[in-house]
Amino acid sequence: MVFDSTLLLLSFLIPLFGGFTLLGFRNLSPSIIRLVALTCFTVPLLIAVWMYFMFVDAPITDGYRFYTEMDTGLGDFGIFLTLGLNGVSLPLFFLAGLVGLAAGIQALHSDAGRRQLYLSLLLIMQGGLMGTFASIDVFFFYFFHELALIPTFVMIGIWGGFGRRSAAIEMTIYLTLGALISLLGLLLLYTSAGDISFNLITIREYLASQPLSETLSNNIFGLLLFGFGILVSLFPFHSWAPRGYAAAPTAAAMLHAGVLKKFGLYGLIQIAYPLLPQGAAHWGPLLLWLALGNVVVIGLITMAQRDLKQMVGYSSVMHMGYCFLGLVTFDAIGIGGAVMLMFGHGLSVALLFLLSTAVFHRTQTYDMKEMGGLASRTPILAGMFVAATFASIGLPGFANFWGEFAIFVSLWNYEPWVLVPAAAGIVISAIYGLRAVAWIFFGAPSEALKEHWKENKPFDLRQGERLSATLLFSGLLIVGFFPRIFSDYINLDVSTIFATDPAMVDNVSTEGAVGELSELYEVIPEPDHIQAEVSR
Amino acid sequence: MILILVSPLISAGVIALFFRDSGGIASAISVAASACILVFSIILLMHAPETTYSASIEWFAVGDFTLSLGFLLNGHTALLLFVVSFVGFWIHLFSVGYMDDDKAKGRFFGGLSIFMFSMLGIVLADNLAMIFIFWELVGFSSYMLIAHYCDTDEAASASKKAFIVNRVGDFGFLIGIVWCFWHFGTLDLKEMSWAVSMDPSLAITGLGLLLICGFLGKSAQFPLHVWLPDAMAGPTPISALIHAATMVAAGIFLLVRIDFLLTPFVLDWIAWTGAGMAFFAGLIALGQNDIKKILAYSTLSQLGYMAAAVGIGLPGLGLFHLTTHAFFKALLFLCSGSIIHACHHEQDIFKMGGLLRKMPVTSLAFLAGMLALMGANYTAGYWSKEAIMTAALAIDPLVFWFLIGGAVLTALYMGRLFFIAFFGKPRSVNVEHCKESGPVMILPLIVLAILALVGGFYTFWPEVLSQSFIGEVNNVYHGEEFHSAHESLKIWGTVAWIAGLAIALLIYGVGTSKDRLDGWLPGLVLVFRRRLFIDDVYDFYVTKIQQRFVDILGFLDLFLISGVFVRGSAGIAGLLGVFTRSLHVGSIHGYVYWFLLGVVLFWAFSMGWI
Amino acid sequence: MTLSLNSFLLISGLLFAIGFFGVLLRRNALVIFMSLELMLNASILALVAFSRFNGTMDGNLFVFFIITVAAAEIAVGLAIIVSLFRKRQSVMVEQLSSLKN
Repeated sequence: MVFDSTLLLLSFLIPLFGGFTLLGFRNLSPSIIRLVALTCFTVPLLIAVWMYFMFVDAPITDGYRFYTEMDTGLGDFGIFLTLGLNGVSLPLFFLAGLVGLAAGIQALHSDAGRRQLYLSLLLIMQGGLMGTFASIDVFFFYFFHELALIPTFVMIGIWGGFGRRSAAIEMTIYLTLGALISLLGLLLLYTSAGDISFNLITIREYLASQPLSETLSNNIFGLLLFGFGILVSLFPFHSWAPRGYAAAPTAAAMLHAGVLKKFGLYGLIQIAYPLLPQGAAHWGPLLLWLALGNVVVIGLITMAQRDLKQMVGYSSVMHMGYCFLGLVTFDAIGIGGAVMLMFGHGLSVALLFLLSTAVFHRTQTYDMKEMGGLASRTPILAGMFVAATFASIGLPGFANFWGEFAIFVSLWNYEPWVLVPAAAGIVISAIYGLRAVAWIFFGAPSEALKEHWKENKPFDLRQGERLSATLLFSGLLIVGFFPRIFSDYINLDVSTIFATDPAMVDNVSTEGAVGELSELYEVIPEPDHIQAEVSR
Repeated sequence: MILILVSPLISAGVIALFFRDSGGIASAISVAASACILVFSIILLMHAPETTYSASIEWFAVGDFTLSLGFLLNGHTALLLFVVSFVGFWIHLFSVGYMDDDKAKGRFFGGLSIFMFSMLGIVLADNLAMIFIFWELVGFSSYMLIAHYCDTDEAASASKKAFIVNRVGDFGFLIGIVWCFWHFGTLDLKEMSWAVSMDPSLAITGLGLLLICGFLGKSAQFPLHVWLPDAMAGPTPISALIHAATMVAAGIFLLVRIDFLLTPFVLDWIAWTGAGMAFFAGLIALGQNDIKKILAYSTLSQLGYMAAAVGIGLPGLGLFHLTTHAFFKALLFLCSGSIIHACHHEQDIFKMGGLLRKMPVTSLAFLAGMLALMGANYTAGYWSKEAIMTAALAIDPLVFWFLIGGAVLTALYMGRLFFIAFFGKPRSVNVEHCKESGPVMILPLIVLAILALVGGFYTFWPEVLSQSFIGEVNNVYHGEEFHSAHESLKIWGTVAWIAGLAIALLIYGVGTSKDRLDGWLPGLVLVFRRRLFIDDVYDFYVTKIQQRFVDILGFLDLFLISGVFVRGSAGIAGLLGVFTRSLHVGSIHGYVYWFLLGVVLFWAFSMGWI
Repeated sequence: MTLSLNSFLLISGLLFAIGFFGVLLRRNALVIFMSLELMLNASILALVAFSRFNGTMDGNLFVFFIITVAAAEIAVGLAIIVSLFRKRQSVMVEQLSSLKN
């Protein structure tokens, strides 16, 4: 068990180490760079896979497995490096490893200049991502997030596309603002939990015995909601996303949209919702409307986009709306669905960004109306792109479907009419997704494009791109066909934390859910009980 | 049973991974898979128990919600399993011949395999969620296959349209399913039907209306019918398999499966939609010149018959017509495919002519299919169609008049097609050079033609297949309450199709080169050709209203949210910066004054004044 | 004629005021410095006067400190002005405005 916990530690230390190595030593030979980068990207994924298989039998401490605690010198403030995984963080940890490797491979095969610096920044970002999902201590949770966020600023600023300077500044300031607001919330939480410790488990136990007053709970939750919401591009705080992603270099976009964006939702699920149920109930209606805005308004705006990367960026914002809707319902089905959707969406949006760049390399433009006829010339690329599009619009057989479907089911229980605009999203996403595919791949290429292709023949997916794409695609397919790979574990934790209100038909008020929650801090699962359930 | 489901999936996977370029091997694998399906189905049906059979495993569970993968084998399943696998096999075989000059054969056969997988999933499913999953997958396969000729704009937009319109139907279907889950606590069909039989008030109208949205989308009934004619942009075997025999039939199958959930209001609605569709689709077919489009509208019309059957309360009749329709419509499409292939992809009937002489086997097969479609006495179509019309006459006469009108129109437009395309002299170069198709393509035609002619003798059907409809059909033909209707229909039915044929002969003559009706009544024909302008309404909405609206929204987002709020707040921060910057006057005297001010403030503070 | 304390204080105040307005209003950096010196000397005068009229030595003692500080300050200030003059070829205070905005 100590081995497993050490592995957790290594999962973010190794990329960080690799990143700083590449940063520190100047002018390393390309093969060494390759070696370091490849190792440091692959190891986290391998660790994640190992963790997955070890998860079932691992002993549970306060609801977390592979629990370990280390003092980094900040012990006086109650800050310890506490690591562990539970059912909610496991899929996201895995996601970070997978997308990280795919992004790393893409970066290695890209034609970015100053590759050493680029790879080192990516590695630092990867380390931060792995650490975020592995940490139980709230302080380190925030720390790793910032660690992962800062490299994006540099990457977009230097290696980005058109309009990168202003996009980088806008995105970083906006996101740091969001992080700042959430930090305020987290600090307030710390002080309200007796100033003892940043450890999530300790805070949870403290609040179970001395619950917060309602106003305090509302305020903290509000801060956390808007802080994390900005990070996840909640409507109307979404403007950074399309511009930022359009200007970002591919690997950065993949990692950011695929993994870093989920940080806010993860924070809400792990920290805000279980600890502040009254706050959640209070802010629920507002969040509902904002999330619907995400789905419907942003969905419609996505339909108006002609630029491929902007469209993908806006569509990613739209799908976050679904996750928020799942959170609003505040029950196991919705939140479990949200986690599944986070996993699936991370993979599909990373794949879409990867393929968008691939398309760009063959057409030298991001304007979709200028493209056409790629399908017959680059069939594999076309096939992957169509698959990625269908995955992101929620076709069964890919991982996103399970999350979306579960969210829909839970929405009806919460408030039936909400399902109508939410489900309308599936039509909207089909419209813009398929339209993009038709513009890019079907039909006849435009004149300008034909001219361009006379000198540079479009080539199908190359080795590096193919490997990355296959990694992501197989993840989508496997979880699409066997959702229980992750849903069992998600279900384990989510069912105990958030109970479904047993009243079946309409008019379920969230007060009912709140009432139950105050009992459940004692219902942290006993090891034997869970072991018996999970034995397969 | 799992083998039935899995073998086409394996075939698709294998093709996708390895054999995309070697079309020959791909086609072989696909045909082999479909043969396997057929064989397994027959074996299954021979061993099947009399009563229903079901099994399920848990596929996904979160919170209180569980989604299972399960099989339900009862009369409906048996029948449809047979239809899908049988017709599917012959179409696979046909495709080998049809697609022999196509570059992307591998992709085509892979798509066919995925389609078979999805369709069988719907047929075998035992709960609504699983039906929904495979429903969407069928939509996806349809998208992929319609977009086969991916370099053409028609294929691109047609595939998009098909999937999107289907999605709109799925939107209603999905809401209905979720409502169902919370209302019944389960999505399992058996459990729900048991619950309703205990307490009929559990079936809610709204629920039924939502669930049939899926049917409206998949079976292309009003108002979601616009995708089917456009879908003819795909290769003809696809049109035969998906859009005549199986996928569109999935909608009817769904109706039959959830029949217990449908209140009388919903059933009426279905009946009216069906009857209306039967009639109006026939009108539109009169104005079409493309052979596949005519057949497409004919499919819409026949689906209307099936819907009407379910609507008047006799779903078994709908299933029976579905089966016979699968036979003769697939046959008709395959014949047209044979023609199109031989004439180098010429599809306009006014460019054809004299096909009877050039392609005799195809023409005779077409004739067989046509007779069945029109309901000529004692063909397969006669038994199923007349049954529906008889029941309609007895139960709901108004529906009946639409249906009989539809029958006349059917004979009318089919006659038009037949007389123009098969008689007279060839009217274009392509057609002059055509000759009969090869054996691979002819064999399925012959098999289906035979079935189209004799398949209607339901008394000879094996028990396991006919148990779902035999009761109702017998009742209609021999039962007391239908007796008078049956008698009158014997006359009316025969009159209908002969009259239609005769009118066609009168108007169009034999082997005419121009559309005579167009000459006499151009306005009317224009309305028909423009599909009663329904498509235009949709186009208008999409391009003018929807696109403008989203463009405005996009602009607002850019302007208001990005511009005013985000840049605005950045601007405010900037203004603050400018303001504070201006405090740095740069002159020493200024700084001295500031210093003085500071001293005064300190002094006041220390004096206790501040 | 015996001079009272007030007259010394008056002189001191006058001197201080002249120096004060000199700092505020003169444009030449050297003249500003001289005015500063004038202010310091005014304060010295006031201190000595108080010390004389109160009979203590405290004021006188403090004068030494002031003289020392003034000397040091002049040294540094003049060094700065000289190097500024070398850069800008001018000691007029309006022209030393590169920190503006």
